[in-house]
Amino acid sequence: MGESKQEWDRLLYLIPFLAVVPYLIIQGESSTDWAWLIVAVPFIIFPIIAIAGQIWNGHDTWVNRFKEGGIIALGALGLSLSAGLWLIYDYLTTQPSLRFTPDPWSWLSFDVLTYDGEGWSVAASGFDFFGLGLYLDPLSIMLLFVATFLCFLICWFAVGYMTTDSINDNSNHRFFAEFVLFSIGMFGMVLADNFLWLFIFWEIMGLCSYLLIGFYYWKKSAAYAAKKAFLTTRVGDVFLLIGLLMLYDIYGSLDFSVVFDDPSTGVGGAVVSAAKLQTALLMLFIGAIGKSAQFPLHVWLPDAMEGPTPVSALIHAATMVNAGLYLVARMVPFVDVANGGVAGMEDLGLIVAWIGGITAFMAAAIAFVQNDIKKVLAYSTMSQLAYIFTGLGAALWLFNTGNHEAGALVFGGALFHLFNHAMAKGMLFMASGSVIHEVHHAHDYLHHEGDDSEHDHASHHDFDAQDMRNMGGLASKMPVTATAMMLGSMSIIGIPLIGGFWSKEVIIGKTWYAYFHGADALLGPALLILATAGMTGFYMSRMWFMTFAGEPRNELVEHVHEATPWIKTPLIVLSIMTALGGFGLAVYGAVEFLSAEADYLSLHGHTLLEQIIHEVEHAFLPEDMQLRYVGWVTILLAFIIGPIMAARIYGGALKEGEQAIPLVHWLTSLSGKFGSQNVDDLANSELAEALQQRLYFDDLYEGILARTIVPFAAFAAWFDANVIDGAIKQIESKSVLGSIQIRRVTTGSARDYILMAAIGTLSIFALIWGVNA
Amino acid sequence: MEVLLPEMILVVSVVLAILVPNIGDAKFRIPLTRVRVPIFVGGTRLKGTSDPRLPALISITAFSLAMFFSFFGVSADSSAVEIGGVLAVNSFSRMMSFVFYAALLLAAVAANYRLPARPSARAPRERDSAAQAERLVRSLMDNRRQVDFHILLMMVGLGMSLMAMASNLFFMFVAIELASLASYILVAFHKEEAVGGEAGAKYFIVGSVASATGIYGMSLVYLWAGDLDFDALAASWAAMDGYDPLAVIGLGLMLVAFGFKVSAAPFHLAAPDAYAGASSPVAGVLATASKAMGFVALLRVLLHVAMPDEGEAIWFVLLALIAIVTMTWGNLAALTSENPKRMLAYSSVAHAGYMLAALAAVGSGLGDDSTTRLVLVAIIFHLSVLVLFKLGAFLVLGLLEIEGRSHRLEDLHGLAHRDPLVAGSMFIFMLSLAGVPPLAGFLSKLLMINGIINISAGTGSTSADAIVPWAESVDPVFWLAVAIVLNSALSLFYYLRIALVMFFETPESTKPLRRATHLRNSIVTLAFLTLAFGIGSGADFLLELVQNAVSAF
Repeated sequence: MGESKQEWDRLLYLIPFLAVVPYLIIQGESSTDWAWLIVAVPFIIFPIIAIAGQIWNGHDTWVNRFKEGGIIALGALGLSLSAGLWLIYDYLTTQPSLRFTPDPWSWLSFDVLTYDGEGWSVAASGFDFFGLGLYLDPLSIMLLFVATFLCFLICWFAVGYMTTDSINDNSNHRFFAEFVLFSIGMFGMVLADNFLWLFIFWEIMGLCSYLLIGFYYWKKSAAYAAKKAFLTTRVGDVFLLIGLLMLYDIYGSLDFSVVFDDPSTGVGGAVVSAAKLQTALLMLFIGAIGKSAQFPLHVWLPDAMEGPTPVSALIHAATMVNAGLYLVARMVPFVDVANGGVAGMEDLGLIVAWIGGITAFMAAAIAFVQNDIKKVLAYSTMSQLAYIFTGLGAALWLFNTGNHEAGALVFGGALFHLFNHAMAKGMLFMASGSVIHEVHHAHDYLHHEGDDSEHDHASHHDFDAQDMRNMGGLASKMPVTATAMMLGSMSIIGIPLIGGFWSKEVIIGKTWYAYFHGADALLGPALLILATAGMTGFYMSRMWFMTFAGEPRNELVEHVHEATPWIKTPLIVLSIMTALGGFGLAVYGAVEFLSAEADYLSLHGHTLLEQIIHEVEHAFLPEDMQLRYVGWVTILLAFIIGPIMAARIYGGALKEGEQAIPLVHWLTSLSGKFGSQNVDDLANSELAEALQQRLYFDDLYEGILARTIVPFAAFAAWFDANVIDGAIKQIESKSVLGSIQIRRVTTGSARDYILMAAIGTLSIFALIWGVNA
Repeated sequence: MEVLLPEMILVVSVVLAILVPNIGDAKFRIPLTRVRVPIFVGGTRLKGTSDPRLPALISITAFSLAMFFSFFGVSADSSAVEIGGVLAVNSFSRMMSFVFYAALLLAAVAANYRLPARPSARAPRERDSAAQAERLVRSLMDNRRQVDFHILLMMVGLGMSLMAMASNLFFMFVAIELASLASYILVAFHKEEAVGGEAGAKYFIVGSVASATGIYGMSLVYLWAGDLDFDALAASWAAMDGYDPLAVIGLGLMLVAFGFKVSAAPFHLAAPDAYAGASSPVAGVLATASKAMGFVALLRVLLHVAMPDEGEAIWFVLLALIAIVTMTWGNLAALTSENPKRMLAYSSVAHAGYMLAALAAVGSGLGDDSTTRLVLVAIIFHLSVLVLFKLGAFLVLGLLEIEGRSHRLEDLHGLAHRDPLVAGSMFIFMLSLAGVPPLAGFLSKLLMINGIINISAGTGSTSADAIVPWAESVDPVFWLAVAIVLNSALSLFYYLRIALVMFFETPESTKPLRRATHLRNSIVTLAFLTLAFGIGSGADFLLELVQNAVSAF
């Protein structure tokens, strides 16, 4: 008790950070004026953590008081969160008309030369786009909340998770500094009012993703994974940059306020060609594919799980991977013909939807055979993001064909799914982290109790704390984690009334709607995501049952228990958020709000009960009969067939005598009631093997790279070493020779100096005479 | 006369520095009587006046006050005050004297550690060992020479400040000589070291030749115009039909004198020797304040007097060539300098070349009033911020010099391990000298290049769609900017080498640096200011100040 009280004392350090925003509110300041705090505070804090960590590395106070910088990081993110909430509150209550706040400050303003078609002229103060402004609309508000809220909670989790593992000792400041740097990228990208800044922050995130995946850089696999993630996303980023240049070419600016003002008119009043714009947007979409790990640039995400679990939770599940979705969502003004967009870009929506459908199905299939708890979640992330892409694709198609109303609905639904997924997946990863952490500790405990023989050491290294085959029956040991994981899985599966159900239903329904209304090419994605709904039900249930239900498959399960409060608190907060948040927000019109159809989150003039009935009716009994069938098939697949199959194969009641808390106990006992099924034949089939090998995509890419890029890289290395370095070395040696020659003139004798001065004087006159003669 | 308050303070302080350490209990016996009248000068010194730290205190106080009041002179209403027809006090001259005083103040602070005053020093006794005795004698000598050093510093300040105000060629020459003569002695101040005396003598000889050449030029100019007032000279120059040989030869000879002051090639050769021989604070003053003084003189003569209303100035090609030779020579020579002080000296030559290039661009006559102003702002801004990072770098060397080491690159090895803060500051100074954003050195270099480009704007043929015909059609002024950029690239090599050895080499001794609180604080403050004046509101503030000053030029 005393120990944990001391732990909470650390939170006192947060008070100065958290007091800033209330103070500003009391002073009557405006939230938009202070929005820069959201990005600026982490920007100041991250070098402080990095430097202080280097200086006081291993120092007692630094480790115990400041948790190696974790407390400072938490404070900075808390300040960002409070400033973000203030901004969101103001937006939701008083400033719904505030779409643009171009408030650029410029770093340097000086004259620049411009070419006006006839000659060069000096234009006053250039470099305008260096200004960093704020762009607020429902989309950025929602993502701002997701980013600030999850950054704070996951940092909280990380304080408990990272500092209690001896492998991290004395390097946590690196973790927290990079974590905070990442948050700058995320916050900045969400708030930026300019595609260029968006790109800059996007790259900051990419860098942090690389650094954090490779946090255990001495592990070969982690270093490899970091490299893989960086290079794969880089492919997308190159295309993104090309897309931005094309956009700049079309509009002469990358400012949202300029570009979105009238997307059909380019620079100098030119009419924008749909083909050209569509190519530019497709380039941006390739960038989004890379960032959000979609087919065919999906290969990096599963390997990215080499990073510490909080990183997986924050960057590779809840925030950064959403950047691609955000970018695609930002394309809506271009295609929305009802609001001045450019017609004739239906193909864009179809391509987005197809990529989404393929990724959703493929990732779900691979998730069937994964035994690593984090890998299951990684594939699930991929699959769920693909859902959102499918929804956005359908929305883009509907917008571009003039069906604004339906497009807005599926657009809002897709963004709502982004929100629900971020909350649930962030929590699932933290819960998996909790499991891994405790299994690992139990393992350490078991093997340190016995004698420290060589054999034990060997087994220590072979042991994989993330392998679900070492778990089972944990429900009674880890009540909070089990509950959190259950609610998160339900949300992802789309169990009616919980979290993701409300948004997933909209996406599937509206994609089918688009198919019924003329988009024949959307049949494929529509079928794929419908099937994926059932598959999601299977693999998420499988993960839960393998981890928490049935009899323990390893002796160490006996020694597992939930320990530090740092880990439990965020799980509880997010459990409530996931269980009730989706429903609550749906009732308050989140879909309409996110699609910018409604200015406020509100009940639209109904009473709460009326609105609840309306939403439930709308979800289960839509007026369109076709959609009603689609909805019921979805529920049947996701809620009934998938989970029951998983329960038959992997489910089972807990061991005799073990008692879990009622919240999860019903599920473990229920899972044992469906009988059991042996799937060994299936598990040994070629299909399972292919899935195990991730459908051979990694092998394919590596094969292609080995034949193309690697020889080219070898040539580039040779060129660099000989031609470029050779040239530089030539310059250097010649300069040094010149230097030695020229220094000979400085003889050290005053006589020679005066001689030189005399020569100089004569030269002056020779020159003046020569020039004027 | 209150506009001359800073100079008054300096004059009074010089007198005080002479008198106060001599105040004692001396009495004068009226002859043939037994009446003794206390005259207070001489005799046994009082406890307060015998303190050897007193001269430093006086000079630091005087420079601080002078700097303070100068600053008010810059920001005050820029209406000029004429005094006696030879001095014009306005915000330009106040800006310059502010810069001079700042540099000298820092030198005075730093000199406290190079030339330490020890109140407890005493004569050696019989039983003291030889080494101990020598140390005691040296500290007694240092104590005695405190007054000389600080009086010379104040004379330098006085001369420089008066020079910035001079509105008459002759008075300007006198003021320059006042500052120069004092600085020759300062260079040779450590006469025990052979290198110090030699450097001082060389600097003096070459400097005298340059001064003589200059004053000969002035006399020719006087022959030609019959006046030495700048305004009158400018009027004569404008009214001149063709080029009068007397005027042109006079101008050329003056260029030699001022070229020596700014260490332009080929008159710079004595500078590296002088910097290397002088103690670091003095070398820092030579590289910043003394150079600024030379540039003010050049600006006065070239822009005020010898600049035609339109068309190319006679000195344009000449100055452009000197600029390019100077910067290339400086950078090339710095490349292989193993003595950090010499390296800084050559880097200072290169910087002079950059500023001369900007000045030459004005001489092309392509610009208009606003571009000329732009270049002037750039030069004055550069001269002002040089005090931060060039003098800062010399102060770091001064910190090492306390141990008697700073003339080899090895002395900088592993400085980061011995004192991370000082090494970090040195790194900032080096980056700023190289012109890396967002430091002050970047901003000033950017302003200069921007000015040159603006002047050459519109000269390139716009119809040329390939780079080669365009490059052929653009005015030569443009290539000055290219020369600056190429030279900057070259200079990065030796600036970053300093950083390399500071951070990655193992130090020769692991002892922490000698404690020098004020010096260390000054260095860190300068590093901070280098950053602050490079970006954001700090840069805006200084730029506004400089613009205000330039509008009074």
